[in-house]
Amino acid sequence: MSQAAVSSPSPAAVKDEFSPFQAMADRFEAAADHLKLDAGVRDVLRTPDRELTVAIPIYMDDGKLRVFTGYRVQHNFLRGPCKGGIRFAPDVNLDEVRALAAWMTWKCSIVGIPFGGGKGGVICDPKALSQGELERITRRYTASIMDILGPDRDVPAPDVGTGEQTMAWIMDTYSMHVRRTSTAVVTGKPLNLGGSKGRREATGRGLMFAMREALRTMKDMPAQARIAVQGAGNVGGIGALLLHREGHKIVALSDERGAIHDPSGLDMPAVMAWLDEQGRLPKEKRKFLDSYPAEHLVPKEKLLEIDCDVLAPCAVENQITSKNVDRVKARLIVEGANGPTTAVADEVLDKRGIVVVPDILSNAGGVTVSYFEWVQDRMGYFWTEEVVNARLEQTMVSAFAEVHGTAKKHGVSLRKAAYILALDRVATVYRMRGVFS
Amino acid sequence: MKDYSDGASIDEARPTGPALAEESPFRSMMSLFDEAAAQLGVDPAIYAILRKPDREITVSVPVQLADRSWTTFNGYRVQHNQGLGPFMGPLRLAEKLELDEVRALAGWMTWKCAVVNVPFGGSAGGIQLDPKAHNRRILERVVRRYTANILDVIGPDRDILTPDAGTDAEMMAWVMDTVSSHQRYTENAVVTGKPVAMGGSSLGQEAVALGLETILRLALERYRVPVAGTSVIVQGAGVVGGTLVRLLHAAGLRVIGLSDSRTAVFSEKGLDVPALLEWRRLHRHLEGAQGAFELLTPAELLKRPCDVLVPCAVANAIDSKNARGVRARLILEGAHGPISAKADRTLHDKGIVIVPDILANAGGVMADYFEWVQNRQGLAWQPDVLKKRLARFMTEAWHEVLEVEQRQRVRLRMAAHMLAVQRVAKADQVRGIYA
Repeated sequence: MSQAAVSSPSPAAVKDEFSPFQAMADRFEAAADHLKLDAGVRDVLRTPDRELTVAIPIYMDDGKLRVFTGYRVQHNFLRGPCKGGIRFAPDVNLDEVRALAAWMTWKCSIVGIPFGGGKGGVICDPKALSQGELERITRRYTASIMDILGPDRDVPAPDVGTGEQTMAWIMDTYSMHVRRTSTAVVTGKPLNLGGSKGRREATGRGLMFAMREALRTMKDMPAQARIAVQGAGNVGGIGALLLHREGHKIVALSDERGAIHDPSGLDMPAVMAWLDEQGRLPKEKRKFLDSYPAEHLVPKEKLLEIDCDVLAPCAVENQITSKNVDRVKARLIVEGANGPTTAVADEVLDKRGIVVVPDILSNAGGVTVSYFEWVQDRMGYFWTEEVVNARLEQTMVSAFAEVHGTAKKHGVSLRKAAYILALDRVATVYRMRGVFS
Repeated sequence: MKDYSDGASIDEARPTGPALAEESPFRSMMSLFDEAAAQLGVDPAIYAILRKPDREITVSVPVQLADRSWTTFNGYRVQHNQGLGPFMGPLRLAEKLELDEVRALAGWMTWKCAVVNVPFGGSAGGIQLDPKAHNRRILERVVRRYTANILDVIGPDRDILTPDAGTDAEMMAWVMDTVSSHQRYTENAVVTGKPVAMGGSSLGQEAVALGLETILRLALERYRVPVAGTSVIVQGAGVVGGTLVRLLHAAGLRVIGLSDSRTAVFSEKGLDVPALLEWRRLHRHLEGAQGAFELLTPAELLKRPCDVLVPCAVANAIDSKNARGVRARLILEGAHGPISAKADRTLHDKGIVIVPDILANAGGVMADYFEWVQNRQGLAWQPDVLKKRLARFMTEAWHEVLEVEQRQRVRLRMAAHMLAVQRVAKADQVRGIYA
């Protein structure tokens, strides 16, 4: 490996390292270069098809009128209706929404589900709003973007600050406007309102499948891998539990406060049961892994550097960076979070021969089961959890095989291969459909 | 006139709803659900909203009769609650049809779908006319004009119509054709109970009996009664009762009694079910059948001792007058409301377990749901797939009702009603009040 690349990165790289969107843009360009896409097509794929900004006036509980701002960006319709989350957060901005919409286009393309990418958001602080205010915001926002929404147009899903309840309000508002029941207009709904079984575990389960497939392609990996997982929520926690069930050893697990480490393997069912219990306590009494009764408590920052075969960063972006990449000991990294590895760190990992399964492939289990929810809603018939899980497995296994095949064929990393595959699929559809005018 | 081969005739079509008090049909239908809501502690304000029908439409249906004179019939469609999905419910033709009765049927459908987890709300409709007093051509005009008048509120994602008393598969085809002609595309998912050739269910009306069989097996398992040799008496030998005895006989149960509207046959050792059904197929009645059995009146049959009694014929077959004489361990309600409220109490006091109609005979509503799914998919499921899925849904519903029964410590009937109210209330709550 090249120490120099780490200790003295180029000034440009330092400036942009912590912008995941810049990272995605760079990866897009690299894949486009590789595919030799001409400037016109490149421009089409880069530019969102449609961006909508709406004013959302609502009466607050104190009787005062306040206007919120909401966005919906539809990046690309080429492969099907747009699909992507709606986030409620104070720092929502159009640039971010735009980038996340594009991200969804590539993600859907990689796992081969018939959607384009979309994303939306409302600038607000859900923690400072009452249920009634949130409901009014959601309903007015839905009504304002009605014209571009629909099961065949654009299908939102939950994201930061939104959840099942928000999706139920969207479904209800949309259904009342179109004068019929339309469950397929959003995914991530409650189970009794057209939701899918297995959705909560979908991303963690998808991660498990991606890791299993990656391990199969690597020589000298033990049958029982030692895995460190950063994040103990729906992705990391559930992923770790499923990997434990697959017979692997979870040697470390962390959450936002602390990390636990046991080289002989954690008792995952016990850890998850403890976390579930703590999660049900009132906010001020909630406990995190830093108070877990374990033999080996470690600072959470150390998790990434623990001695293990596989590392799964499943928390937030920018975790493996130029600052700590040298100390990563894993030989395989499977990204559960969005953008946990910076582009600079990526290069170093590549040089060190560490395999990285990229986020847009390994955490696509969530959007895949969202797709299943949409399919089930359209036919009005709901699969058993076993069927959902089996189809998720099928999707993840074949997506991994395709990305892996592309990587071998072009002699590039899995990440670059994933982008090449995603772009190529969208560009091919673009050429076939032609330019409508 | 009716040359379609697979549909139900008017005689065979069975009403979808429970027995209703003539004075106040809606209130009488709702009484048990009101009790269930109170026991569940559903917020009275929320319950008041979900109790009231969402929408009621009355239409005038003008038609020219055979003698070229004009007359108008009253048509209704009541949509009770769409919390769980599009409305679905029967279309009934009856001379003395009143709005409040339609309202009661609509509410009943909401709860019925909710118990078995079928994603529909409840509705009902009908036309106030005597179907026997008019020829098919007039009936066709009536049904088509009625359909056109309610076109704005029906559709596969809005409201789905099913056959009921006075309507049949061919009439469902008229509704489908009228809707499709207006829409300018084939819209077969707007009605169920259609002829198979137009996307109807290949199970036909056997679905109710299949559902009963599944529930009976589960009930026997729960109350630790072995299947083989268990004695069963079935009241009703038509499409529900007849199919059920055929299935039970094949499964090794001992069918000891069977009746139709005139005759009952009984044999402690077990009846020769295939021979009796063949006789009935040829002669339309059990009357006159020969064999090693006792001949009884249908009323006497209900008093014979048995493990399981399945009333599949009429409402209030067991009432305060004969309830004391019933000597079964388990009663499975195949018909709608075969046990009157007073009789229900008497039987319970005698320690007889009753599996309520809303759960036991839900095979029909399930088949309607499956038909709708198949129409939306544009794919007809194989009969064995249909049967398997029907059994799965019935089994899940059974276990869910049992869960409520154990948690709330109530009878199966109340547990089923509570499960229904709970589901609809939850859906209304997460959807919120649209404004």
